[in-house]
Formats: sequence, structure tokens, C-alpha cells
Amino acid sequence: MENLEPVAEEFSFAKEKEIAKSFSKRFQWEMILIGAGQATIWLSLWPLVIFDHISLTLGSVIAIICACFAYLPSHEAQHGNYSRGNPKRKWIDTFVGHYTLVTLMFPYEVMKSTHLKHHAHTNNPEKDPDYQTASARSLWDVIVRTQVGTAKYEEVAETYKNDAAFMSQFQRGAVVGLIYRIVLLILVIIFPLQTLFLWWLPSKIGIIYLATFFSWYPHYQVDTGRYKDTKFWRHWMPRYLNHSMQLHFVHHLHPNIGHYDEPKAIEALKPFLIARKVPGAEEIPERVAYNPLIKL
Amino acid sequence: MQKIREIALNHITKWEMVWFGLIFWGSIFNAAAIYFGINHSPVLWYFLGLSFGVIAKIRGTWLWKI
Repeated sequence: MENLEPVAEEFSFAKEKEIAKSFSKRFQWEMILIGAGQATIWLSLWPLVIFDHISLTLGSVIAIICACFAYLPSHEAQHGNYSRGNPKRKWIDTFVGHYTLVTLMFPYEVMKSTHLKHHAHTNNPEKDPDYQTASARSLWDVIVRTQVGTAKYEEVAETYKNDAAFMSQFQRGAVVGLIYRIVLLILVIIFPLQTLFLWWLPSKIGIIYLATFFSWYPHYQVDTGRYKDTKFWRHWMPRYLNHSMQLHFVHHLHPNIGHYDEPKAIEALKPFLIARKVPGAEEIPERVAYNPLIKL
Repeated sequence: MQKIREIALNHITKWEMVWFGLIFWGSIFNAAAIYFGINHSPVLWYFLGLSFGVIAKIRGTWLWKI
């Protein structure tokens, strides 16, 4: 671990880790339900729209909502938070990780390999795969930067071309990405407007949502370093609508804390966060659970 | 097999935007033309999609440059 500023013994990393560990044990059943649920709903939209049981407009709105719910369940899988080191449960990570991303057309292994690099090099201009989004100057800039498509991943592959483990996983994911592309191009010939409004457009909107709340807000205008690279922030939008990304900083400190256990973990860890000068830590309210964290 | 995979991936990396323009946007423009009752040959709409793809390939992006 990097050299950290000295803190009082009562706020030592060992004690912080012990508290964090107590929130890193629960089985993340809600995430499995959300991930598998949204992907199943999204898949069911195709026959429902094609056979005129629901309109394409309604189907598209539902698909956009599904796309916004698609990433986080896979994100838990990327950190192994379903199996939690149990080899017998590893298949849950793999299954949820892949299945939930179908709505976004994202290959799980590309997401996993690049996300772990993002954790290792958060806010590093050369090494963080999400730096382009995190350094965007405005919300519009975020939207523009998310539209570069696969070019972003070509750059990441170039950066890590000598990292054999990364490249192996990345290339497996690239094949899945290619299959997604082929399926999309076959579907668009057979069902053009349905493909546009049920898959392509929702996926684009989902990616913008993801980049805005997962990459930009938590990492915008903060430094590099374990306790400095992600901030606590507030927003006009209740946190239930942006996947509680105001609390994303605790995920960067302890990625194995389950997403829905983060509010309680932050309440318990608040003195440590203040002692370590996590950006915005002073503003964390005493009660985080069931607090919408709105700031007008 | 490895060689074929390499050639295929290289081709897709280089020409992805052109193929995507032709097939994806061509199909969308054609379907939209049918929906709005515009009676032109589908070739026109696929050519328009192809043009989008070629322009995107030359510019290196579909939308704005960063």
C-alpha cells in the first residue's frame, strides 16, 4: 500500500479494515434480483413489442430503465462479492456478471479487467481507464466522451499490452463484445426500429447514466491516492435514483462491502474517514441509512 | 485459427464504423423511410448509412471530437 499520512492509533488501517470486514459478509441477494430481473424483463420486451402486446414507445422506456439498473449487479460480481471467496459460488459471479450486462451490450470480462485497473490507478491520467470521463469539464462533456465507443478500450489495451493477465481477460471479453456487435447487426436487419429503441438507444442512455453517476460525480476534481481519489458528494437527486453513488468513496476504500451495506458501513467508519481526510467526509451526516442525501 | 482470428479482429477494428454505418444505420434509415411512407429505393438509405460510416471512420468518431 502507498505511504499514507500518519493518523492516531485509534484510526489505524487495521481497525478500519476490521470494521469494513464486518460489512463484507452478507450475501448480496438484492443485487442478483435486480441484475437477473432487469435482464429478464429486458429480454421479455422483445416478444412483447414484436407481437404488439405493448407499444415500442413503452418498451423503449422500460428498456432505458433496465439499462440504468444493468451495471451495478455486474459490478458486485467484478469484485467477487457474490462468491466472497467461496469457489462453489464462483459461478454466481460469472453468471450475474455476464447476464446483467446484456442490456448495455457490455462484455463482462472487459468491464472486470478495466474496472480493476480503475481501482488500482484511480484518477491517474495515463493508467485509469475511466480518467476520460472523470476529468470531463461538464455534464455535456461527459456525454460527448461516452460516445467514443470502442476507441476508449483500444487505448486501454495499448496501455496494458504488456500485462499478460489483463490482456488475456480483456481479449476474452473482446470476443464477447464482437458477438454482441454481430447479434446487434443481425437483429437490426430483421427488426430495425425495435433494435434501435429496445437495445441501441437504451444502452447509450444507460452508458451516459453510468458515466455520469459512477465515474464523473464521485471522481471529478479530486486527487490520486487511497483516501483522496473519491469524494462524498450531495445532489438534488435522491440517492435512490442514482444508485447511491454519493457513497462510492467507501467502495473504493473497501470494495468488498456489499452495495446495500455501504450506508451502515459509512456510519461506522465516519471517524476514520474524517481522520484520513477523505474529500467531503466532514459533510457526511450521522445517519446515512434511509437518508436521501439531497442538496438543493 | 489464431491467424484467422487476428485477421478478423484487425479488419473489424479498422472497418467497424463503415460496416456499422452500412448495416445498422442503413437498416434504420430504410425502416424509418418505410414508417414515414417515403418511397425511395432501399439502396439510397443503405448508401446514406454507408456514407455516415465512411465519414465517421475518416473523422475517427461518430459525433464530436474530444
